[in-house]
Amino acid sequence: MKPALVTAIVGLAGLGLLVGAAGFGWPDPIILVQLRLPRTLLALLVGGGLGLSGAVLQGALRNPLADPGLLGIGGCAGLGAVIAFYWGISAVFAPALPLAGLFGAGLGCLVLLGAAGRAVSGASLILAGVALSAIASALLALALTAAPNPYALAEITFWLMGGLEDRSLLHLELAAPPILLGIAVLLRLGPGLDALALGEEVAASLGRPVGRTLRAMAVGVTLAVGAGAAVAGGIGFVGLVVPHLLRPFLGERPGALLGASALAGAALLLGADLAARALPLVLPLAQEPRLGVLTALLGAPFLIRIARRAVP
Amino acid sequence: MAVLSLLLAIPAMAAPLRVVSLNLCTDQFLVLLAPERAVALSPLARDPALSTVAAQAAALPWVRPDAEAVLALAPDLILAGPFGAQTTLAVLAARGLPIARTELPQDFAAIRAETRRFAALLGAVATGERLIAGMDRVLASIPPHAERSAMPIEARGYAPGPGSLEEAVIRAAGFASAGNGARLSLETIASHPPDLLVTAAAPDYPSLATDFLAHPVLRGIARRTWPPALLACGGPWTAQAAALLARDP
Repeated sequence: MKPALVTAIVGLAGLGLLVGAAGFGWPDPIILVQLRLPRTLLALLVGGGLGLSGAVLQGALRNPLADPGLLGIGGCAGLGAVIAFYWGISAVFAPALPLAGLFGAGLGCLVLLGAAGRAVSGASLILAGVALSAIASALLALALTAAPNPYALAEITFWLMGGLEDRSLLHLELAAPPILLGIAVLLRLGPGLDALALGEEVAASLGRPVGRTLRAMAVGVTLAVGAGAAVAGGIGFVGLVVPHLLRPFLGERPGALLGASALAGAALLLGADLAARALPLVLPLAQEPRLGVLTALLGAPFLIRIARRAVP
Repeated sequence: MAVLSLLLAIPAMAAPLRVVSLNLCTDQFLVLLAPERAVALSPLARDPALSTVAAQAAALPWVRPDAEAVLALAPDLILAGPFGAQTTLAVLAARGLPIARTELPQDFAAIRAETRRFAALLGAVATGERLIAGMDRVLASIPPHAERSAMPIEARGYAPGPGSLEEAVIRAAGFASAGNGARLSLETIASHPPDLLVTAAAPDYPSLATDFLAHPVLRGIARRTWPPALLACGGPWTAQAAALLARDP
């Protein structure tokens, strides 16, 4: 499975360097390095972080609907990043953008951990996530009405639909370290998640208490999702779909899914971003379709299917 | 015949005395043509980022587009735009108030016609001709130069194309306009770079929509900024944008 996914990533990333608004083929070196390279690597990293976060959240919370977007973590990260940008903080200190994304995602994770401790059924956790998303989007609108830019609310509509077009190497430098760190933290959680799947007491008796696993999950998801949302905007459903796509091949054991979920998330977002870039070249579109719109179109039907089967 | 011309002259002599403008573009015509008749302007008229008459407008009252607030001013003419405030304007029209709407001129011929129309309406024909003569002097002073291409680029990468005020200004400045009326990505601009990139002067607030202009891939393209107020509305003031572009860098 993993060699196939790695092959797919290498192929898609290679294609990513060959496709863009300037046309198919090898571009001018400036375009290649300044535009296509950061865009391709960001799709890889953001997608990997989202796919892995989804697999860990679904395993740790034992909920097949868990996803950084549905649980509101992505929304909280966006809230932090938007405040840093529109209040001019990131213009003075560029790393404030991912840091604020991390701060927002971290707060979201804390709220969810509180809810997860008390949530009896899977549905109530998802409802807590829906509430968190609603609070984050309301606070976002509130923060923007106080922003000095009179067009901020209109601009943010596009940002919330997610996208990687016209990103620079600076965005890559800002987002890559936290995402890679988060992926490293989450990849080590396999044994803890497997133990948790046997029940909380068994996990504790195996020396992997549930509290420690959940805390490490919160740190990892915060790092992987927060920085990604700060540079890519609202991209949903990758974390939801990827583990479900992999289970038929790899089984139900959460620990077995982690590495493959990171790879498949990266491949999925690379593919979706490639589609977003290629569509205006083959169809008479005035502009690129938004990346978050494509992932939602792919993922939302999946959500309906999972919800039908999983939630009583 | 003399009686007839006298009769025709009456409407011009009875020009409205209390004029309320509800639109940024008509605000500027009103302040330039007949400031003494302005009872209230729109709040945007005082914003120096959008209005070329912000200083004069700051000394005049302003009113929200709200029918009650406007009626309280007892105007005898309302100036408005083609879009926006439609519910307010419907109430004012139902009260029998005359409403004159700007047609938002998109080239210099249309600017001359629009200036004359408002000048006649406000009983300021001589002032109108003086404004047009001033605009034509600025346009005529632009020296001829070798034709190069200039691309206007706005928020979110929109490049105004044929029929736009931006294109009219770029051509008046002696450039060929490379805008095509579509939204362009950085990659499209970088793969077919124009000789000159024309952007609005950066706003003094952070904006995601104009952030892309700071991308290093555009670093090699010459760039000129024009104050957005000169192009927010087409008017005699717009000629200054052409003069700015034509000036040697």
